[in-house]
Amino acid sequence: MDVNIILDGLWTALQPANLLWLLLGAVLGTIVGILPGLGAATGVAVLIPLTFGMEPVSALILMAAIYYGALFGGSRSSILINTPGDGSSIAATFDGYPMTKKGLAGQAMSIAAMASLIGGVMAIFGFIFLAIPLANFALNFGPAEFLLLFLFALSAVVTLSQGNIIKGFLTMFLGLGISTIGVDLQSGVHRFTFGLPHLTDGINFIVIIIGIYAIGEVLYNLLKPQYSGKSNGQDIGSKWFTKEQWKRSLAPIIRSGPIGFFLGVLPGSGGTIASLLSYSTEKQISKNKDEFGKGAVEGLVAPESANSASAVGSLIPMLTMGIPGSGTTAVMLGALVMIGITPGPLLFENSPDTIWTLINSMFIGNIILVIINILMVGMLVKILKTPPNVLYPIVLILSFLGAYTLGYSTIDFYILIIAGVIGLLMRILNYPVVPLILALIVGGDMEQNFQRAMIVYDSPMDILFASPIAIVLALLTVLSLCYPLIAKVFKRRKAVK
Amino acid sequence: MKRLCLLFIGCILLAGCSENTSEGKGTFPEKNIEIIAPASPGGGWDRTARSAQRAMNADGTVEEDITVVNKPGGGGEVGWQYLMQQDAHFAALNSSLLITGPLLGQTELTHEEFTPLAMLSTEWLAVAVREDAGIDSGTELLEQLKEDPKSLVIGVSPSLGSGNHLAFVQAVIEYGIDPTELQFLVYSSGGDIMNALLGGHIDVTSNSLSDLSEQYLAGEVDILAVTSPERLDAFPDIPTWKEQGIDMEFPHWRGIMGPPGMSEEEIASWDLYLSEMVETEEWQTDLENNNLEEFYMNSEETKEFLQDQNEFFEGIVEDSGLTP
Repeated sequence: MDVNIILDGLWTALQPANLLWLLLGAVLGTIVGILPGLGAATGVAVLIPLTFGMEPVSALILMAAIYYGALFGGSRSSILINTPGDGSSIAATFDGYPMTKKGLAGQAMSIAAMASLIGGVMAIFGFIFLAIPLANFALNFGPAEFLLLFLFALSAVVTLSQGNIIKGFLTMFLGLGISTIGVDLQSGVHRFTFGLPHLTDGINFIVIIIGIYAIGEVLYNLLKPQYSGKSNGQDIGSKWFTKEQWKRSLAPIIRSGPIGFFLGVLPGSGGTIASLLSYSTEKQISKNKDEFGKGAVEGLVAPESANSASAVGSLIPMLTMGIPGSGTTAVMLGALVMIGITPGPLLFENSPDTIWTLINSMFIGNIILVIINILMVGMLVKILKTPPNVLYPIVLILSFLGAYTLGYSTIDFYILIIAGVIGLLMRILNYPVVPLILALIVGGDMEQNFQRAMIVYDSPMDILFASPIAIVLALLTVLSLCYPLIAKVFKRRKAVK
Repeated sequence: MKRLCLLFIGCILLAGCSENTSEGKGTFPEKNIEIIAPASPGGGWDRTARSAQRAMNADGTVEEDITVVNKPGGGGEVGWQYLMQQDAHFAALNSSLLITGPLLGQTELTHEEFTPLAMLSTEWLAVAVREDAGIDSGTELLEQLKEDPKSLVIGVSPSLGSGNHLAFVQAVIEYGIDPTELQFLVYSSGGDIMNALLGGHIDVTSNSLSDLSEQYLAGEVDILAVTSPERLDAFPDIPTWKEQGIDMEFPHWRGIMGPPGMSEEEIASWDLYLSEMVETEEWQTDLENNNLEEFYMNSEETKEFLQDQNEFFEGIVEDSGLTP
């Protein structure tokens, strides 16, 4: 690694014009991240025409800034009003929203921003030293490995669902069922599309997320018997997190960064799986298990760190091999090709300066984002003081708007409303939502990989023993399924003693 | 304050009315031109639509604003259904999916219902294997498949019946292999295919040259044959199927069409816009950046071309065993 190239990259990244693009991208990204449905992919896509006249490097900086800016912003609405805008910010509701209810909204947001920063910076170091070997490692994931990875993620998350595991499995199956809607790639058969062309590509899981959380939340509050027109009226608390919170957070943040980074490199829904798995890991090893779900700061920072790291990780296959692993990186790839940068193995050889400028600007961008986000805390907490009769109509409008921008179709409105009613029922009957959402996100890929694996391997047993990675993932799956049982046995022993 | 607001709203409404009344007379075009990309932002259709928008703006023959609207879903069908309800100010991009859709029984909408406007660009498809696969030519690959059709796993995207899939089907049929015997794995994008190919999870892929070229130049994959009539200037080392004794040509074209029932004048206007558009420097640069080839045809030629393509695909879809 040549130090001069790194310094040159830093110099280019610090050019006023590039700093300005970085700032613009960070602010825009944060905004689209906060608004439900308007994720990073939409943010980047909208800006494509703007990038035509730009220096290629500046365009890359702008798009990357929107990408990780959206991840910083994504958790804001999860923390404040319990409505995540996409899959990767769901985990922030588990403990972020309870913290808000306790009157710690300001602290929750500032420490979440710090967690994103540290996770992101760890991943940038990972990018510098491991980009190419990791991209090659990720190639080992074939049909069998992906199938088992998704199985593991599902089993880890379902057993995590509080209280009733059977209810967790039920909602998981509902999610898997919804994920079968659309055309089956391997056979070309249309399933449950009712002749609607819009449904051939399946139901967009983000519409379901917005429906279940945002619409569900609004409906729930409408039906609450003690409904009153005034604000939720919680304390907002200090903007700054305390020393004690910081002490409790540091280890989870540092543990979750690498998890997110590695999962981000794998193609698929990196952010969601990364944040949920890091949450479940922390919950299992934490000393404060009982506090999880009730506003434990560890449960907020772990997924935030993982999520931010996974975004950096997902840039690796896109830049080193020209293979996008997520919706956002796919849009970025298209835009980059149009302005004359062709990501791929040759980019690292032919124009390392582009890569190093990007890496340096990601550093600067993460720091800028923390500042923006902490400055915004004061403004954002005002949302909590907004009376429900103003706030909820706004949430509804944004939800419908977000759903429309995803598929440009009014059919999504109906899906949104149906999902909202389902979300309401699940809340009243106390069914866990997360297994449903995760199943919906990974279900399609999991099924396609299962079908591919059944074509390639002679018997199902061969899938389990396809490779060392497959064996490890299969073992992890079994372990996570048995974990509640083992935990129970241990508890009983302790009780006996 | 309230009054001011009302006044403001009133003004907007009035302005809206006056615009409406001016419609209906005058000549084409009388309002903004809209190009429909029947796919999400970032894909091939979207990129072509935005290139066209940019080139038409640069050219300046069209004075009205040109906008691009994305109508993704159903392999183009959502966007085309939308076009059915519009007037001559709208045009949508298309590809062979327009023709294969009804042949595969996926839709009732056929290319004959629309007004063909032009062919815009094409890319050529190629067959690739990993660099260390030990297969050196297209005929060697076909020979191995003839001996044992199950010996190799072939990856295609984005669907069975897509150009990528049918181009390979045509090659194996020409060589006397039954395509229904082969093992096809379907992936959703060219990127996923490349992942699987490099990781050794599939052995062969049939894909557009632009999706393969980066790894080819890096020496990771070998390209055994390309579907163009002659070797391409950009890749003089890649042999065509033709010179390996497989008599086939397979362009993966993208064109543009208007809604049903356009008048002669409207078609003539579009012919003018598009023929000027493809001459611009912007258009040429975009073609180059995206590894595309010039493939312009005017509305007359396009009509004929689509009919030829329909016949061609009818045959190949039947042979592929995909007919419903």
